[in-house]
Amino acid sequence: MPLRIVVLTKPVPDPAAAAERLGPDGRLDRTASPSVINGNDEYVLEAALKLVEAHEGEVTLLSMAPPNGLDTMRKGLAMGAHRGVLITDPALAGSDYGSTIAALVAALGQLEFDLVLAGFDTSDGVGGVIGAAVATKLGLPYLSSAAKIEPDPGAGTVRVRRISPAGFDVLEAPMPALIVGTQLLGEPRYPSLKGIMAARSKEVATKSAADLALDAGSIGGDAARTKVTGQEKPPARGATEVVRGTPEEGAKAIADLLASRRLI
Amino acid sequence: MAGTIWVVAETNADGSLAKSSTEVATLARSLADAAGGQAAGIVVASDPSAAAEELAGYVARVVAVAEPAAEGNAWAQVAAQRAAAILTSESPAVVLTGAGPDGRDVAGTLAALLDRPVLVNATAVAWEGSGPSVQMSVFGGKLITTSAFADGEWGIITLRPNVVTAEKAALAGAVENLAPETELSLPLVKIVERIDEAAAALPIEEARVIVAGGRGVGGEEGFALVQQIADALGGAVGATRAAVDSGWIPYAQQIGQTGKIVKPQLYLALGISGAIQHKVGMQTAGTIIGVNRDPDAPIAEFADLVVVGDLFEVGRALLAELAARS
Amino acid sequence: MADAAPSTYRLTEEQLLLRDTLRQLADERIAPRAAEIDRSGEFPEDIRQLLASQDVLALPFPEEYGGVGADLLTQCLAIEQIARACTTSSLILSVQGLGSLPILLGGTEEQKARFIPDLASGKKLIAFALTEPEAGSDAAAARTRAVRDGDDYVLDGGKRFITNGSVADVISVFAVTDSNADTPRHRRLSCFAVEVPTPGFSVDRLEHKLGIRGSPTAELSFDKVRVPAANRIGEEGEGWKLAMGTFDRSRPGIAAQAVGIAQGALEVAIDYARTRKQFGQRIGELQMIQALLADMDAKVESARQLTYKAAVEIDAGARDAARWASLAKLVAGDNAMAVTTDAVQVLGGYGYTDDYPVERMMRDAKITQLYEGTQQIQRLVIARSLLGKPD
Repeated sequence: MPLRIVVLTKPVPDPAAAAERLGPDGRLDRTASPSVINGNDEYVLEAALKLVEAHEGEVTLLSMAPPNGLDTMRKGLAMGAHRGVLITDPALAGSDYGSTIAALVAALGQLEFDLVLAGFDTSDGVGGVIGAAVATKLGLPYLSSAAKIEPDPGAGTVRVRRISPAGFDVLEAPMPALIVGTQLLGEPRYPSLKGIMAARSKEVATKSAADLALDAGSIGGDAARTKVTGQEKPPARGATEVVRGTPEEGAKAIADLLASRRLI
Repeated sequence: MAGTIWVVAETNADGSLAKSSTEVATLARSLADAAGGQAAGIVVASDPSAAAEELAGYVARVVAVAEPAAEGNAWAQVAAQRAAAILTSESPAVVLTGAGPDGRDVAGTLAALLDRPVLVNATAVAWEGSGPSVQMSVFGGKLITTSAFADGEWGIITLRPNVVTAEKAALAGAVENLAPETELSLPLVKIVERIDEAAAALPIEEARVIVAGGRGVGGEEGFALVQQIADALGGAVGATRAAVDSGWIPYAQQIGQTGKIVKPQLYLALGISGAIQHKVGMQTAGTIIGVNRDPDAPIAEFADLVVVGDLFEVGRALLAELAARS
Repeated sequence: MADAAPSTYRLTEEQLLLRDTLRQLADERIAPRAAEIDRSGEFPEDIRQLLASQDVLALPFPEEYGGVGADLLTQCLAIEQIARACTTSSLILSVQGLGSLPILLGGTEEQKARFIPDLASGKKLIAFALTEPEAGSDAAAARTRAVRDGDDYVLDGGKRFITNGSVADVISVFAVTDSNADTPRHRRLSCFAVEVPTPGFSVDRLEHKLGIRGSPTAELSFDKVRVPAANRIGEEGEGWKLAMGTFDRSRPGIAAQAVGIAQGALEVAIDYARTRKQFGQRIGELQMIQALLADMDAKVESARQLTYKAAVEIDAGARDAARWASLAKLVAGDNAMAVTTDAVQVLGGYGYTDDYPVERMMRDAKITQLYEGTQQIQRLVIARSLLGKPD
């Protein structure tokens, strides 16, 4: 039986560009930095692609983003996802976790799936709470910190190796289920060039707040229940001492510093 | 009276209180003191008694829920449902959890069950006026933002590990035992097997000293020297993604954007250039020392000390120096 | 009038995604191997596999034969990104295109169907063998002969400076099929797809080179090598035309390679200028360094734009395709040499050591002024296009 997998992906400012900043409204200034697919999302996308290669099926990307979120979604399609759904609406700008969760829940309500996969967290905010909240709202079994995902489409169940302090817990639940994956799922592939060429013909559906029947008064910046009140650069560290010389001189410099700071 | 600052605690496999929860509870108490309120905690476990007792060392009031379903099933959502039931009948000022895997799951589930806003991965929380003011390190540590809940809202905050030093209260609090009454509404996810895997002796998130190796270490043999130095300093071994990807050391030891975020007192980086992806995982360490052949490697931008040289030569000399001083 | 509006002068979304994907691939998987490839001088089989698995080697080939069907500009983008990390690695793609062009330009459907799918998948490599010890820039002076014998041709002679000649499975060999003194020199050559190994074919030696050290440059000899007539590409006497048509399309690739090398060196220099401190300040704050970097950027970008433009003009079938190809290679090759030399200068003594990649890039840049026609030949081509051919 083919698997239908939805992968939640978020465009984030490219960490490598190191140009992220907030605008005066406390929201991300998206003009300052190019967007890329959140790194951890690529790992679960890779897992999804491997699963449909093994079991057959389809991978759908689901993002909530400004209209140019299409550009970052294109990479996921080039990696092999079959289609995309982009939730985009000016009314959603400035959304806090609450409206983001509501939008994703509404969009998932319009899709048919056996599994929803989400990355461990995002590189911009490092929250990692969306998956649990979406699963809760939808009443889906929730399996997190996955190092391995093994669905049994015939039995309609999925097993997940969850990272635990002692090693792994093997979890089992009926599908449909929502799974938050880790990087132990395996390195994401590079889009192949044929994949890139094929991506142009793949369908991306865009959904507005109205398409998702979201209440305009309860979404976006005006409805946000958290607010940014300030921002600052992290304090610079003190000057760096550079020691060149013999290995013994270097070792002595290290030991001296450790001793002076009572670290030995 | 500002209401109660609540903590949803996590337990270790042996039933004791998780280290991250001691930090969260310490923060809850300091916020309660500042707000003129009370700090309280919730422990949900099949046998919550030991952890509840321990948590009472930090906060004034502990509700211990003996929940059989917390054993043999994925814990976080079970715990969150029991916590949600308690919190609905209280008037919380704020709810705190850890920002580790279980804490996040609890926070996300609570946010959905109680329809509350969330602020994540706090590096510091202060009480200002009528609510918490939450500092977060975003964009891989390139920016620190301060956030608050909107007027009249209370919400959930996840706290990053190692940003608060755990400290017990002068007076131990009281433990109430609560038997769960209602059915659990969310689907249970059962644990069908536990796999023990020889983990590192000390989880690197909790290590006071980390000696880390990068691509320059060259291989598994090289990491033997890194381990020797870590042993000599009483620390744990960490690594960059390049070293982990090369298969020289397990993923559990990986530090950085795609690995763990650590805050040890000492970070000794051997053959690590200090690229941004690694830096975000360790830049808040107390003392940072780098050993690198390249004097212009990025690590020179944020280390306290950089020794220019071959990491094996300097490493062996350091072992000799430490042995001579001990 | 909307219909007459020129097509966009920016790269398409697809080209950008392809470029960025190759940049990431090159940064993560190829750049870390570049120094070792240069040091060992060994052909990077792992990079060949990588490029094959990502369909990179399929770029120059039509979709009906398993290729990606990329236009020339897109091929140039790919070569540029790979060369930015490792020139040797970029040559695997360049030469796969170069060697195949005679087949794509002059081959029959049967020949394309027989050869191209394995080349597109990267299962087989192909080389291009025109140059001979006594026929370098004057390629029409080739002495390797092919004599018809029943259903075969028998090839005798030798080829020199054949990139990937020792690792290729197929070689496009140009040989004289008509040595009649009355036949114009340009109608004496024919092209053959020689499948190797085959009796009489041998790799006599590999050159020790200044740069592109992981790319084997072979001296080949053909001693009564029998090649089926079905492997003759094009008609007898069409070899020269096929070779020149090939260069029209392959020279922009060399220009793109030069742009990539220069861009790589520029980035190392910028990074160094940002971090290296001298006289109590970052050297990037020194105006003399700033001026060097600005000039380097101007050289890289002008070469890049000319290369892209040449690729588009050639694809569009411009009548002066040869001129565009030569302009791009001339400017990009010279600029790459200048930019890499300046990059070494920015890094000072460190730039002269193999602690940094710029010395390798400088050595690699030199080849772009030499192969697929020296810079002098490019000037000759351009001048002929301006003045008309002497005959």
